[in-house]
Amino acid sequence: MNASLISLEIWVVALGLVLMLADFWMPAERKRFLGYAAAAALAVLLVMNLGHCATGTAFNGMFVQDGLAVFFKCFFIIAAILVLFMAVEFSDNLTAGISEYYSLVVFALSGMLFAASANNFAMLFVSIELITVTFYVLTSFQRGRLVSLEAGVKYLILGALSSAFMVYGIALVWGTTGKLNFNELALVAGQFAGNKIFLLGMVLVLVGLGFKIAAFPFQIWAPDVYQGAPTPTTAFLAVGSKAAGFVLLLRVLFTAIPSVSAHWANPLIIISGITILYGNLCALPQRNLKRLMGYSSIAHAGYLLLGVAALSMNGQAAMLYYLSGYLFTVLGAFTVICLVMRHLDNEDISALAGLHQRSPLLATTLTLAMVSLAGIPPLAGFFGKFLLLKAVLEQGATNPGYYCLAFTALAGVVISLYYYFGVIRAIYWSKDTPVDLSPILLSGPAKVTLAICIAGMFWIGLFPNTMVSLATEAVKTLGI
Amino acid sequence: MNVGLEHYLVVSALLFALGLLGVITRRNLLVMYMSLELMLNAANLALVSFSRFNNNLNGQILVFFIITVAAAEVSVGLALIVALYRKRQTAHVEDLTTMKL
Repeated sequence: MNASLISLEIWVVALGLVLMLADFWMPAERKRFLGYAAAAALAVLLVMNLGHCATGTAFNGMFVQDGLAVFFKCFFIIAAILVLFMAVEFSDNLTAGISEYYSLVVFALSGMLFAASANNFAMLFVSIELITVTFYVLTSFQRGRLVSLEAGVKYLILGALSSAFMVYGIALVWGTTGKLNFNELALVAGQFAGNKIFLLGMVLVLVGLGFKIAAFPFQIWAPDVYQGAPTPTTAFLAVGSKAAGFVLLLRVLFTAIPSVSAHWANPLIIISGITILYGNLCALPQRNLKRLMGYSSIAHAGYLLLGVAALSMNGQAAMLYYLSGYLFTVLGAFTVICLVMRHLDNEDISALAGLHQRSPLLATTLTLAMVSLAGIPPLAGFFGKFLLLKAVLEQGATNPGYYCLAFTALAGVVISLYYYFGVIRAIYWSKDTPVDLSPILLSGPAKVTLAICIAGMFWIGLFPNTMVSLATEAVKTLGI
Repeated sequence: MNVGLEHYLVVSALLFALGLLGVITRRNLLVMYMSLELMLNAANLALVSFSRFNNNLNGQILVFFIITVAAAEVSVGLALIVALYRKRQTAHVEDLTTMKL
């Protein structure tokens, strides 16, 4: 056993416990600053983690530390740091328990870190549940607001349903093959390719993962939960929880059952295409900005699935690249939403009117984020979509369905231009007369967060080579 | 009659289907939540019977994890339902209509 491999996770869990205990001694008016302390501690852990990347497995092969795991761990920690900064700005809206909010974010992060390293169905189940159960609480944290509670209850029922499906799937897979470890399963999965019970079990496991990433037809929860949850929670849900679903999807499809998933191109193509169309078409009439982002995140789950459906190393690398651009873009957008709309009852788009006069920095960040989400050069979203489409078209020779999928994705991009530019129009050329033209004062850390997000969007978009080589290096461990 | 693996699996599949039916048809949050627990226990039964008949203890270990996680999920879930009841005086899904498409 090699327990030193999980030192990062141990530190993160310890940080969560320290934050909970600090709640007892910290004077009430200083509690919100614990968020900065937590973010700083995570930044230190990130640098330490980058410093030495020992690889190997621990706990009898349940836990694997490889290139893919290290890539996603850095991703999750950066996401958590930006979310903690956002939570400090949001703390006025949380009547009680702000330090618990921080520690729950850190516990959810620990679940994501374990998910990045899961190499066993038991580990997959426990890490996913650690994330989901924490998010039930984070979603309904504003328990004085009915929308927040309602979002929490909806997430609870649908989340518990999907985990019940997943557990039953794991039971069937384990019952037929007798293997829980992904590498051991890969050796025997080929023999069970015709076994109906095994296939049913695998499909049920994928249903659970499809729920996490909000892919069609398991996306119903996303708009309501995104709208009702406190804004930092929504941001973490859109980035962290979705990415955790994707890393587990990669592990299950390409480490555990590569010989079976090789024949699943058609279902993956169909799910990816419908998810893109559904997300983009439903986003068109939305007036609530967080709900719009919810539908947009469904569409982006579809784009990310392009990389999975391509069943190739280029596809997986493109997906990782796209996710890293998505991290800065979405967190930038949600930071702006959080800062502009934290004192409003609902997040109607009309509240953005006159934002370029109230705060040019916020207006610029939101504009850049929308441009990047829409996939316009030179920002991160453009090159990511380009790489995903390229990976899909490369496979076109083997299956003509890939051409249809690429066409669907392009159609989705064109549809999405309408609603993303609706947001930009609301900022600069709004027809509604702005009710409030008072300038928005930004704290120093908020400016730093926005600057990091803008820099990330430009860096990943303009200098893609570094990130592409990192992503390619990371997916080599999947070995397809 | 000799009770074999198939019998246990049929019972487990029935429990799972009953739980799913409950979640889909019932409108009270507490009953829906109970049905969800039934679905988890169906999986537990399947794991334990596979474990017993295949002479492999891994499944029983996994059942411990599932029971623990289910307990955590129930505590959070019931707290949420209580908080909703205090705010809204109802535990019916039809009343969860603040957010519409």
